Amino acid sequence: MSSITAKAGELRALETLSGKNTAIHRLAPGVKIAATLAFIVVCASFGRYEFFRLVPYLFFPFIMMALAELPYRLLLTRTLIALPFCLFAGLANVFYDRAAAFSVYGIAVSFGTLSLLTILLKTYLCVMAALLLAATTPFVEITASLRRAHLPTAFVMIFETTYRYTGVLLEEVHSMTTAYRLRSGTKKALDMRHMGSFLGQLVLRGFDRAERVHAAQRCRGYSLRRIPPPRRKLRLSDAAYLAAVCIPAALLRFVALY
Amino acid sequence: MHMADALLSPAVGIAMDAVAVAAIGYSAAKVKKDELSDKKIPLIGVAGAMVFAGQMINFTIPGTGSSGHIGGGILLAGLLGGFPAFLAITAVLIIQCLFFADGGLLALGCNIFNMGVIPCLLVYPLLFKPLISKNLGAKRLSIASIIAVIVGLEVGAFAVVLETTASGITELPFGTFSGLMLPIHLAIGSIEGVVTAGVLCFVYKMRPEIISSATGGQRLTGVPVKKPLIALVCLTLVVGGALSIFASSNPDGLEWAMGKTSAEELEADNAVANGAAAVQDSTAFLPDYALASDPENPVGTTVSGLVGAGITFALAAAAGLGISAVKKRKKASVSA
Repeated sequence: MSSITAKAGELRALETLSGKNTAIHRLAPGVKIAATLAFIVVCASFGRYEFFRLVPYLFFPFIMMALAELPYRLLLTRTLIALPFCLFAGLANVFYDRAAAFSVYGIAVSFGTLSLLTILLKTYLCVMAALLLAATTPFVEITASLRRAHLPTAFVMIFETTYRYTGVLLEEVHSMTTAYRLRSGTKKALDMRHMGSFLGQLVLRGFDRAERVHAAQRCRGYSLRRIPPPRRKLRLSDAAYLAAVCIPAALLRFVALY
Repeated sequence: MHMADALLSPAVGIAMDAVAVAAIGYSAAKVKKDELSDKKIPLIGVAGAMVFAGQMINFTIPGTGSSGHIGGGILLAGLLGGFPAFLAITAVLIIQCLFFADGGLLALGCNIFNMGVIPCLLVYPLLFKPLISKNLGAKRLSIASIIAVIVGLEVGAFAVVLETTASGITELPFGTFSGLMLPIHLAIGSIEGVVTAGVLCFVYKMRPEIISSATGGQRLTGVPVKKPLIALVCLTLVVGGALSIFASSNPDGLEWAMGKTSAEELEADNAVANGAAAVQDSTAFLPDYALASDPENPVGTTVSGLVGAGITFALAAAAGLGISAVKKRKKASVSA
């Protein structure tokens, strides 16, 4: 059950990181979102065996982590979460695609192994790109740019409240599970027959809490249809960043270095 | 069941993203039409957070010793109704992707479709609601939950297989992949179904009005279905079409899928590909080190590949470490 506090900590860790003040953090959020999406699409477009051509893309996460002063270890461990499913799909390639691609000092490397490596590298690059976005852009700025992109207000509101309440409810779940554990002796997990009422309680508690919070907010003049914050003028640094990410990414897609 | 960017081709990923955006727009319009939306939106948000928090709770599955956790599409739909539940699940998936590295940004469309559109917008109105429309009670609610969760998960798992196969990144044959995914999700679905039934029955016992209001005012009126549907189809065709041209210049994606069935590779006979190949030939700086005797070898120049990749990796790491060191020194000199 300690995973619950760990999860809440993870959420808070990224939020804390996004509050830093570096050149990357100061960039316009829309520009960062666009560059991240472009980077991911280009990475995903590489073929199954193009492991070597993907390696230069490692410049992006490495340089970004350094410029934004982010902790290497935290982001690295977080990317590991994404690996199991990709590893499963990639391992299948090792068994189904056994023809030798090349050999290094007599050790044959099969196409399957090569495609497994490609999948793992792609996973790392794509996951890092998304994490870097979250770690360098405060949540309010992400939602503000979603509003400016004319996503439906109702959806942006739901997105915001879900994020805010996640932290709150993780704490609620933590105290509920602790209480359950103390009541039930040494049990590490809930009995399945208790799940219905346990989660049901969480549902009712959550609804009540949300209603109370919302009523209190309304009393203080809060409205759901908030006007989006004024559009921040694009600076030269924003354009430079976009160019510095997109142009090399596109060039490396079409031109092989080696 | 979260799909990752690394297993998707851009054509499949972006086409599914377009579908997801259309579904979000349509559902948001439906929720907005609801008179009580201002009061309801925080409830939808908190419900999404509940699914998230609920996923953290491990429970023991009787007789197996292993533990499971809940997914949530049908649970949310039962509590809120189809459209609000879909928006809540979408929010959860985006947060999982951005903050917890669970699923990718490009794959968001696929994940939203598999875990949001299928249970909330298809299984819920077509299966769950008809099942509980008459004599709503604990027994019917339980049966409907279990069936709906299982069907939703199975269809979702099948969609994962289809999307992965269409992307052509993994070598797993379609039959084997389905043979693995479907039974696993049948097992997961029956457990999740029982838990979902437990939760919905508990809420129904304590506050019956929550369940009955969710199933009540969700008739398809007020918002035109036709326009978004046409827009959705056009968008998918345009995006899918444009990207498959791009995809066909690479030996992956759709061509791979076709190559598999016809047992022969299609020639990449296209101006972009030829142009790119010409540029590539003229600019490669370690050109003729290929060991492989097969000129068609997609790995190409192996030694140059290994050496080049090694050097590039070292350079990238050095660049990152160098910048960090300079920054640290600057900070130290400022504080001193």
